[in-house]
Amino acid sequence: MIITSAKPLGEILALLKDEDDVFIIGCNVCAAKLKTGGEPEVLEMYRQLEKSGKHVVGWALPTAACSVRSFDSLVQKNEKIREARCILVMGCGSGVSTVASVTEVPVFGSNDTLSLGGSSENKLLLDQCVMCGNCTIGEFGGICPKSQCPKGLLNGPCGGAIDGTCEVNRDHDCVWVLIYDRLNKIKRLDLLYTVHAPQEHRTN
Amino acid sequence: MLFNFREKLNSSKFLVTAEVSPPKGTRFSVPLEDARQLKGIADAINVTDNQCSIMHMSSLAFSKLLLDEGHEPIMQLTCRDRNRIGLQSDLLGAYALGIRNICLMTGDFPSCGDHPGSKPVYDLDSVQLLQLVRKLDSGINFAGNRLDGGTSFCAGAVSGTDPEKPLQLIKLEKKVRCGADFIQTQAVYDVGMFEEFMEAINHLEVPVIAGLIPLKSFSMAEFMNKNISGIRVPEEIMFRIKNAPDPIEEGLSIASETIKELMKLSRGVHIMPVGSHQNTPKLLSMAGISGN
Repeated sequence: MIITSAKPLGEILALLKDEDDVFIIGCNVCAAKLKTGGEPEVLEMYRQLEKSGKHVVGWALPTAACSVRSFDSLVQKNEKIREARCILVMGCGSGVSTVASVTEVPVFGSNDTLSLGGSSENKLLLDQCVMCGNCTIGEFGGICPKSQCPKGLLNGPCGGAIDGTCEVNRDHDCVWVLIYDRLNKIKRLDLLYTVHAPQEHRTN
Repeated sequence: MLFNFREKLNSSKFLVTAEVSPPKGTRFSVPLEDARQLKGIADAINVTDNQCSIMHMSSLAFSKLLLDEGHEPIMQLTCRDRNRIGLQSDLLGAYALGIRNICLMTGDFPSCGDHPGSKPVYDLDSVQLLQLVRKLDSGINFAGNRLDGGTSFCAGAVSGTDPEKPLQLIKLEKKVRCGADFIQTQAVYDVGMFEEFMEAINHLEVPVIAGLIPLKSFSMAEFMNKNISGIRVPEEIMFRIKNAPDPIEEGLSIASETIKELMKLSRGVHIMPVGSHQNTPKLLSMAGISGN
């Protein structure tokens, strides 16, 4: 799941200050789950924009904003999109880009995209994966230091942890402590002795 | 007669290294003057690399300034600000300018410092950086291409000294396996804990130089206990510094006693005072170290 957070309305209005005749596109997958782009949020955005003096021509809720077949497929959902002079996408950055790729008016995003995360036991999990293109998560017991260590360290923790908390954010556990506990639990502490080569950063 | 730090590392001499910081600006007379106080007593001087992520003159440039003054610098190099291209290029430059000793570390996160929004790099970690240096030493670069002149660095790394932290010990072991020539540690106050640490790494053949930060006040000790990773000031020392009529003098007494204990356990001490080295010559003479 892509983790997003809603921008404050003031920031969205600033983005739209020279725009009018707005069409809103939500996203019924991640953003809906996170309440940053599902139907209730789209309708609320509709009301707020109208209240702030913007004319909203209509809205649509594709299954996923990041998976839109064509402009026509959006027209099929709501033909009012033809009247739009700009589009506000309530999804992640990928959703905004995908919509922009099939439309010819200015496109804006109402959310900030934070990380590739997940959720389990009613808890939101941030930074579960950095999409590095070279998955070695099994070497770390299923917890990725590339995404969960702010420094992306592959060979063990830095010297900055205090009482098992991260140097960068004392409210977070040092991911290396979590990796240690996990490897200990699955009896694979031997993996900690592997010297890992640096991540290769290549464009695909 | 021993000439350089590497030779001294391989000798039985008890070593003294000390830390100086480059200036925050282009005027370098003050830190250079500070380093002069170490002439004849420090075997080598560590030059910090934008310590605490606070922007300073480069450790490379200030190491060269120290070299020109007749000091032997240990250029610190972190993984925070440079990718593998930048790191290699600075290492080649440093070597060409005569810098022979380096100390490699991860580096504090940028959010700890004065440019909190800057991009954290960490293309390599400290273990991988050691491996990279050993490649440069063999005359090839990270990509496997032959260099027109390689390096021959005396390369160290850093470690905490808590024997109860297996992850740190494993990382230290990796550093040694990847060719660390020496280890400089976080500040030691609890000699008993340091002794246990040395026992825990008994199987690793590497000279360990124990860190030392002379205490100046009770609040400084409290601050370090609370905020600095890997530092544990024991109750007894807290009591001494709290009740001392002159805490700075007491801090020096404590540090000199610690050095005397460390002489039995480590290959040397690494002095990292908060502020200047004004009291370092006195501290070393209190510990019975006369000079190099």
